[in-house]
Formats: sequence, structure tokens, C-alpha cells
Amino acid sequence: MISMIVDNTEIVKVKIADMAVLKDNGLIITVGLGSCVGICLYDEISRVGGLAHILLAESQQFKSRDGAVNKAKFADTAIPLLLEKMEKFGGKRSRLRSKIAGGSQLFVFKKTNISVGEKNVETVRRTLKKLNIPVVGEDVGGSHGRTMRLYIDSGRVTISTVGKGEIEI
Amino acid sequence: MEERKIDSNRLDVLKELANIGVGNAITSLSQLLSGEKVDMDVPAAFLLPLQDVPASLEGEETAVVGVYIEGKGDVNLTILFVLSLESAANLISALLPGSAGDFDEMGISVLTEVGNILTASYLNAISIMTNLQLLPTPPEVAVDMAGAIISTVLAEARVIDDEIVLLKTSLNTRQTRIEGSILILPDAGALEKIFRILGLT
Repeated sequence: MISMIVDNTEIVKVKIADMAVLKDNGLIITVGLGSCVGICLYDEISRVGGLAHILLAESQQFKSRDGAVNKAKFADTAIPLLLEKMEKFGGKRSRLRSKIAGGSQLFVFKKTNISVGEKNVETVRRTLKKLNIPVVGEDVGGSHGRTMRLYIDSGRVTISTVGKGEIEI
Repeated sequence: MEERKIDSNRLDVLKELANIGVGNAITSLSQLLSGEKVDMDVPAAFLLPLQDVPASLEGEETAVVGVYIEGKGDVNLTILFVLSLESAANLISALLPGSAGDFDEMGISVLTEVGNILTASYLNAISIMTNLQLLPTPPEVAVDMAGAIISTVLAEARVIDDEIVLLKTSLNTRQTRIEGSILILPDAGALEKIFRILGLT
């Protein structure tokens, strides 16, 4: 991730297979969600917010050759890790709400029944459910890329797309 | 981790493979454009952390056209031909006289065909040099944010590794005003095979 200060506001940019957590104020942004999924978690009491940008669904299938798992890369490992980080900042699991975006299919592949994007969204939902974190907003699927922004002071999440402007979820 | 390190000697070999392959592809593009000269940069070879791959295209949030092809066979690699919207429109109108260069069905099929031709000549060159059989999958075209296109390509390739070898060549034409990049992402297994064949193990 890359962090910078613009007009007294901390802006953290989350790359692919990456995550960040902020408290009280600031903005976390991730650019270019295609089949990837962005997951925002927010605790409105402690005002702790986190964003993870996952590339693939499940870590089990894709262990690297040295056996190490880059937890931030996969939905099933990134979300528990994000939760852990948020708890360190004072976030409470029972108060967390999530908003998700991405999982689109930019290229129309005819070869598979279920796209990488759909699989990612499905695994994100399943992992959140297992952790009892409700999904309160989403903008998933379709065939276009998205940029996701999480405003830490309010928990507001916006999605922007090429040529379609910005929406709040 | 140690075994994945690639020394500069190996990166030079990859650059050379890209140079010959892309050189071949560019000759085909020049023929498509009725012999117009196509300039290309010397290919660059990078070993990048996975996270930094999207930033290898300038302007992650800028809308671009991406033509995505997989080379499959004895080894697997992914090829992405990236054009600015303006360049893609110029390419379409150069090849479809009378067209406004829209990304409609005809326009997309032109881009697909260009992707086919570029990739076939690239893969041919690689096959001849390495004796490996490689066939292209039908190209897929997307018009979207550069970052979304490249991260989707990474996900489609189901990248296991956290360090990615990326070969990048830029090309441009003066008359038809086409500027683009060709990105090649070999699978980790593909690199080992290629190095072995070239006696670089």
C-alpha cells in the first residue's frame, strides 16, 4: 500500500493482494477492480475501517512452490486477516459491517461455467458469513472495472466506473 | 524463494526472445497497415512483485483497450496488447476504410483479428527458437480501466507466484497514430522450460 497526506487527510492506496486499516479519518482507495473483489469492513462506533483487494478465491488451490501463502491475495485468508488487523485498531467484530465491489467479467471467456469474478464474489460472501459480518452494500458482477473508496470518518463507500461516474453503496 | 530469483543474464535472454517475437509481430502489423513503418522500443524485462504489475501500465484508472490472448501448449504464457482508446479507434479506421473507429461489433472484431495476427507471429517466433509448440487461444477484447484489465489478466492466469516476470514492448506508428504496448507474462513453469532448452539452468 502507498500512503500520502493530501489537504491534511491521509489517503492510503491499496494495491492488488493488499489491505489497509485506518481509524477516525482518512480515505482508503483501491483502483481497478476487475475480477478482483474489494472488501470494506467498518465499525461505526470505533470508526475503524479497512479495505482488502483480493485477486483469487481460495488459498488452498494456489500455494506457491515454497508453500507460503500470501494471505492478502485470497478471499478466504484475506478477510480473517483484515478482521484481525481491525481488532488491533479497536474494531469489534460484532459491530462490523461490510461492503463489497468487483467480481466482474471483463473478458467474455466461453470456456468456463463460472468466471473468476463470480467465484471470488461467492467466496467473499461465504467467508463473511462464516465470520458473521453482514454485507450491507454491494456493487458486484457485470463486465466493467471499478474503483472503490472508503471514507473512514463516515464509513461511506463509493464506486466509480469508466464513463458511468460515481455511486455510493 | 531462492530458486525464483532471476539473474540479469536470464532477463537478457527473455528480452531477446521478446525482441525477436515482438519484432515478428510488428512486421505483421506493418503488413496489415499496407507497409507503414511501425517503430518499437527495445523490450524491457522486469521481475516485479505481483502488487506492482498494474502500475506497469501508466494510468491505472485510464480507460484503455486490452486484447487478451493465452499461448498454450508445451508452455503457457499470457499476452496482452494494450492500446489507448484513440489508438484503438485509429487502428480500426485504418483497417476498416470508412469506419469512424467505433468499438462496435465490427470494430471489436478488427481488434480481435489484429490480436490474432500479432500473437500468431509472436508465438511462431518463440516456437522456432525454442522448438516448443504454442498455440494461441481466441483473443478477448475489453475496454476498461487499465488496472482492472491487468489485474483480471493476472487472476485469469491464476498466478501462484508473488513475483512476476513481465516483458513489455511499446510500439507506435506515425501516419495512423497508433501507440500501444505488448505485455507478455510467462508462467513460472514456462520460464524454467525455456531456460532449460536454451541451456541456462
